[in-house]
Amino acid sequence: MINANKAKKELAEKFGFDTERISVPRERRVSLEVPYDQFRQVLAHVVNGMEFRHLCTITGLDEGESLAFIYHVAHADGTVLSLKTRVPKTAPVLQTITDIFPDGTSYERELVDLLGARVEGLPAGHRYPLPDNWPAGQYPLRKDWKAEMLDGVYPKNEVKSNG
Amino acid sequence: MALALFHLLIFPGFLFLFVFALAMEFVDRKLYARLQNRVGPPWFQPFADFIKLSAKEDIVPEKADAIMFRLMPVFALAAVVTAFFYIPMWGPQALFSFSGDLIVVIYLLTIPTLTFFLAGWHSTSLFSMIGATRTLTQLFAYEVPLFMAILAPALLANTWSLSAMTVFYDQHPAYAGLNVIGFIVALIALQGKLERVPFDIPEAETEIVGGTFTEYSGRLLALFRLAIDIEAVVGASLIAAVFLPFGFGLGAAGGFVIYVVKVLIIIALLALLRTVLARLRIEQMVIFCWKVVAPAALLQLLINLILSGVLRS
Amino acid sequence: MANVKIPIGPQHPALKEPESFTITLNGETIISMDVRLGYNHRGIEKACEERNYIQAMYLVERVCGICSHSHSTCFIQAVEEIAGLAVPPRAQYIRTIIAELERIHSHLLWLGVAGHEIGFDTLLMYAWRDREAVMDTLAALTGNRVNYGINTIGGVRRDISPEQLAGLLKTMDVLEERTKYYIEVASQEITLIKRLSGVGYLAHEDAVKLGAVGPTARASAVDRDIRRDDPYIAYKDLDFKVITDTHNDVYGRTLVRVGELMQCYNMIRQLVAKIPDGPVTVKAPRKIPAGEAFSRYEAPRGEDVHYVKANGTDKAERVKIRAPTLANLQSVAKMMENNRLADVPIIIAAIDPCFSCTDRMVRIHDAGHGRQETLSWQALHTYSLDWHRKQGIDFKALNAKLSRRMKL
Repeated sequence: MINANKAKKELAEKFGFDTERISVPRERRVSLEVPYDQFRQVLAHVVNGMEFRHLCTITGLDEGESLAFIYHVAHADGTVLSLKTRVPKTAPVLQTITDIFPDGTSYERELVDLLGARVEGLPAGHRYPLPDNWPAGQYPLRKDWKAEMLDGVYPKNEVKSNG
Repeated sequence: MALALFHLLIFPGFLFLFVFALAMEFVDRKLYARLQNRVGPPWFQPFADFIKLSAKEDIVPEKADAIMFRLMPVFALAAVVTAFFYIPMWGPQALFSFSGDLIVVIYLLTIPTLTFFLAGWHSTSLFSMIGATRTLTQLFAYEVPLFMAILAPALLANTWSLSAMTVFYDQHPAYAGLNVIGFIVALIALQGKLERVPFDIPEAETEIVGGTFTEYSGRLLALFRLAIDIEAVVGASLIAAVFLPFGFGLGAAGGFVIYVVKVLIIIALLALLRTVLARLRIEQMVIFCWKVVAPAALLQLLINLILSGVLRS
Repeated sequence: MANVKIPIGPQHPALKEPESFTITLNGETIISMDVRLGYNHRGIEKACEERNYIQAMYLVERVCGICSHSHSTCFIQAVEEIAGLAVPPRAQYIRTIIAELERIHSHLLWLGVAGHEIGFDTLLMYAWRDREAVMDTLAALTGNRVNYGINTIGGVRRDISPEQLAGLLKTMDVLEERTKYYIEVASQEITLIKRLSGVGYLAHEDAVKLGAVGPTARASAVDRDIRRDDPYIAYKDLDFKVITDTHNDVYGRTLVRVGELMQCYNMIRQLVAKIPDGPVTVKAPRKIPAGEAFSRYEAPRGEDVHYVKANGTDKAERVKIRAPTLANLQSVAKMMENNRLADVPIIIAAIDPCFSCTDRMVRIHDAGHGRQETLSWQALHTYSLDWHRKQGIDFKALNAKLSRRMKL
């Protein structure tokens, strides 16, 4: 068993985080922001050392200058840890986490399609969830994206004749 | 000549068979619906379906073999209608009969299945071809038990003619009771022949869309459906003639009523079977047929073989 | 026979929604499977950022036609947490009653679909007939058979009368009787057992590794249920068992769902007995203070997850939705291994997929004419009115007539 406060204490001790930075908004919820160079190390410890073994989802956010990613991981006792990290929008490169969570593939593909993140090491496969003929460089979940940006750019569906 | 034509085209030929088969389709559908707690279709639904389909456009796939594609429904229909004339219905004597017509009827009833295979194969669509292969695989599973089940009573009657067989059982009604295993085997095999649950594997909608008939539409599909309906009636009549040879001494009208009742009972049993069971997988079907149905048919054959020896001695 | 590639979808009788599975077969045996998702992507997350919280709530409710209450409750839970609203206990109980009714309706729906996928249409007809009892109850309690719209920020929009509660208990008795019958069928009907057991095997380790959720995971002995682990609405007051199974196959998934149905009836009886008196709503502010919340909900299909970030205005900064099917789809490829073509429909159906939920602009696609345009919400609204007017249905006159009659 692990509860939110215990998790907070362990993270603070192990990585020397300021306890102010780890918030416990309510029972069974912990959130923490880490710089991206430390992210993989913290995630590995959270999963293997603290047994947060279920990946709920990955939320991507457009924060203006940077893209933020929140990895929500859950413990068997119901505690959810939201691990947030940031990368600059000019170079939005992430390492895949599919080596730790094989089920993270579709969540990472969403980040690629909708927010324009580049995920290194993501297994090959179909894009998700946008159509194959979606114009390059348009990321609908970015704050500066408007539906009008598709006018004239979104390729027309070609009707192919048989044979 | 005129009488022969009347027999062929009107009664008990094509027209009668057409109406009777569609009426039986209604009985089957209504019963199936009521057993499932549904309201079910009105009595004219099969006729309406037939007329509507006939009015629709025939579409032949570009890559399909057009001649084979168009011929197959006609072949299927011709085969089942022909088979009907050799089966005794309301009298112990069929419209036509000769020594060995039993074998001919069984073979004629195999032709529709072969046309389903060829139709599916020549559609060249992926789903049709998988359906076609399944049709053929299934044929090998139920056909042998069906042969054995129908040949066993013939063995006891010591004749290869359906009419002679009926005459024999009419005179010795007690012997008919010995063929119960064969009756059950024949029912199961007929269900497989008609490709209905639990043996509707060749046209399993949720797996391969329409199976063999995926590419069929319009008149051609209407003909196929009619052929299947008639096949059901002919199959039921065959089983009725072989396994339920009672009530021939009541004159034409009485015999006719009893015949219809017998067919109704068999259709009802088949409808019940498809209500209470789930679709099997193809390999489960083959295993079931070879491990359960075929040995049962063999047992019937053995019983009748011994009995006929005892009888004749 | 050489390897054949069979397309299941985007349009296929086995699928109720458009998704594409390409299955490579050797004879009847599955060699590999390839999934393409996204046909139902409607941009709901983006649309939520352009609407105020109440509008977004109704939009989120339409993420899915079956677990609509799940999504709307999951979403407003997060909003209420940010706003610091104390939802009255009676409202929490009403939300829980609707949630469990929704689970009953969803599981009965699944049972019917599963029957249909294996060619057992009688089960489909029976299960869906019984499901009508739940649908009618939901309509009586909320006004709608689906998309109940009972939630509002700070509570629920309708109270439940004592007579309705009594009627609810009667419905539960009827349904319990019927479910017992289904359990009997599931344990005795040979063709059903033959078609379900050993099919779509998902080992316990794989279920954990691939992040399976809900009944799919519980049938592989993963003891995870948000209602117990991370209790929300009124679940902490309830006494219930989390049903798990060790069959690891489609048969196990069936047993788990039928077992959960029995738990649902029990839970509703407890809820009816314990429901407190009091108001059903508290006043909610139009603007939600800045903050973020992460909310989990055990939908009929598994763990539903919503993340909401507020920025102090009346519109959300970011809404993230993860429906259970997206988590379960990862396991489907594993389940397909060494199975046969005949098992594809039931394996896909056994995770109780809801692809609309999974994929979340109004975009008009006129392929025939190569015409394409994007309509704004307003334009779409006008278009709809005009279209109906052309068909001779003019609501203007009707509305005027109605309002005149109301005045009289």
